[in-house]
Amino acid sequence: MIEATNLAKHYGEKPAVAGVTFTVRPGQVTGFLGPNGAGKSTTMRMIVGLDRPSAGSVIVNGRPYAEHHDPLHQVGALLDAKAVHTSRSAYNHLLAMAATHNIPDHRVNEVIEMTGLAEVAKKKAGGFSLGMGQRLGIAAALLGDPQTLILDEPVNGLDPEGVLWVRNLVRYLAGQGKTIFLSSHLMSEMAQTADHLIVIGRGRIIADAPIKDIIAGNQQARTRVRTQQVSELAALLAGNGVSVNSGENETLEVSGLDARQIARIALDNRVLIYELTPLNASLEEAYFDLTKDEVEYHSHPLDSGPGSGSGPGNFAAAVPAPGGFPPAGTNAGPMTGSGFDRAEGK
Amino acid sequence: MGTSTTAKSAVPSTAGSAGLTFGGVLKSEWIKFRSLLSTKLLVLCAFVAVIGVGTLAAWLRGTVIQQLMSGAADRGPAQGAGGAKLTEAMAEQSLPPAFEIYGVPNAGLQIGILILGSLAVLFISSEFATGMIRSTMTAVPRRLPAFAAKAIVLVVVAYALTLVAAFVTFLISIPILHAYGVSMSLQRDGVVQGIFMGGLYVAGVALIGLSLGALLRNSAGGIMVLVALFFVLPFATSLLGLVPGEFWMHVNEYVPSVAGGRMLEIGHRDAFIDPGDGGLIFLAWILVFLIPAVVTLKKRDL
Repeated sequence: MIEATNLAKHYGEKPAVAGVTFTVRPGQVTGFLGPNGAGKSTTMRMIVGLDRPSAGSVIVNGRPYAEHHDPLHQVGALLDAKAVHTSRSAYNHLLAMAATHNIPDHRVNEVIEMTGLAEVAKKKAGGFSLGMGQRLGIAAALLGDPQTLILDEPVNGLDPEGVLWVRNLVRYLAGQGKTIFLSSHLMSEMAQTADHLIVIGRGRIIADAPIKDIIAGNQQARTRVRTQQVSELAALLAGNGVSVNSGENETLEVSGLDARQIARIALDNRVLIYELTPLNASLEEAYFDLTKDEVEYHSHPLDSGPGSGSGPGNFAAAVPAPGGFPPAGTNAGPMTGSGFDRAEGK
Repeated sequence: MGTSTTAKSAVPSTAGSAGLTFGGVLKSEWIKFRSLLSTKLLVLCAFVAVIGVGTLAAWLRGTVIQQLMSGAADRGPAQGAGGAKLTEAMAEQSLPPAFEIYGVPNAGLQIGILILGSLAVLFISSEFATGMIRSTMTAVPRRLPAFAAKAIVLVVVAYALTLVAAFVTFLISIPILHAYGVSMSLQRDGVVQGIFMGGLYVAGVALIGLSLGALLRNSAGGIMVLVALFFVLPFATSLLGLVPGEFWMHVNEYVPSVAGGRMLEIGHRDAFIDPGDGGLIFLAWILVFLIPAVVTLKKRDL
């Protein structure tokens, strides 16, 4: 359980986090979304006391993080996969971390096995790929078998197996009643992982709701229709409450009518349609919609704009972080079928 | 194995651990200290260098004393039968303070403080440079226990290394000095004290190095300030002695290396601080760096 109250952080005049109040509850995965520079990492760093709040407070499992007598058992945090001495081996890094809490050595070996680091554990952490560094960070976060897990971009740089493993792991731990607080720029990943979302923009909470509410929120179901008689069908469909957009060639996006109704109208008027696809509202769209005014660092659209036309006008910013795809061949760690999967089977 | 793995992690988390303890933090810092190749190499370098320079110093003193004695012998063989013994004592008397025989075991300390002081800076500044400090302080969120543990590891290593190196140097110097007709033994005034105080001095420098690393959070900067403090400052202030006026004469005595170095000596010197005062001044210097370092580490964001 993480409870932030009017939590704020200013760097000089500029507020990085402008007084946020939220609660991250146990037993579910809470996603933390926001454009770059929105204050996600700063908020997470304040939770574990690395940054001192300018105002307000945040408590974890009932008290400020630093006041716990067993911090690593309360919170496991992956805030920065680079928080490792580059010349020390992964094994010794974890051993040193574990020693502070008198965590037995066999637990170190357990998390190494779990995260698929066994083969590189004796190598210097500085030589690790992004994905391996990420696994080491996750291993460190899991060391104390914490009640609360805070993961900042945990899947950044992981290979597909690693991504799946993280998703299963956090789902499993949430099922065990633990508190999971997770940030990511990968919307599809977040949509599959989180139960609840907190969206932050320019240091303020924009949304704090169950993920299905956020996706459903301000979206209308749409249907994609492909036909050669675009203008004819558009005219037939148009009516009250119905909006029709023609996108690419021979394509319409219709909202206000469902697929069956569209098919009926087409049949009645002998219009041939060769595709009829209900478009589910996506988290990505909901996210763009929520954050379109909050994006601080805009990237400029490529000349033609986003191809599908599905996003709202400003495709802009908050493009998923680079490194979503692991560099080829570097992350081939033996992660599948590792501790978690098997344990879940039990 | 895999099956029990996560099953185990699902039990209440404090199982198998006593939580955060200072002993644990100390062990953690010791693991960190010994698990870096660079640290081990620097410790080895310091050990070899301190003994090497000490051996060189023993030989140098031997030759100087022999020259003085042979000079005396040429001038006046009339001294009598006990002449050689007497001349050795006389020759030693005429040595400048920095050439005291009892100082041989500590002669290599200048190189020792350079290496161990830098090691101390690196022990914490490298954590800032690599980001490790955030892992460290997440595990020890009160921060100061981690700093204290680092300080203890460094003090113990610096003291033990210096003590052993000084003792080895002492043993090596016995035959060397003997070859020049000088008898070296633990009974000689100042030898035992010098050996024990040398460790304190180096440990103190290590504390200053650690503080500089924590204050500046930068390896190069920390080492530069350390070198300036212990190698440039004494030289610069000795030049100040040329400025007319009583005050400028004494500035040099108060810089850390001179005051700290005085701690290793025995006996009163005219117009110079006594060893005990030197120790206190050196202690004050340690605090000048240690206190701001502790406050900064506690308060600043990581």
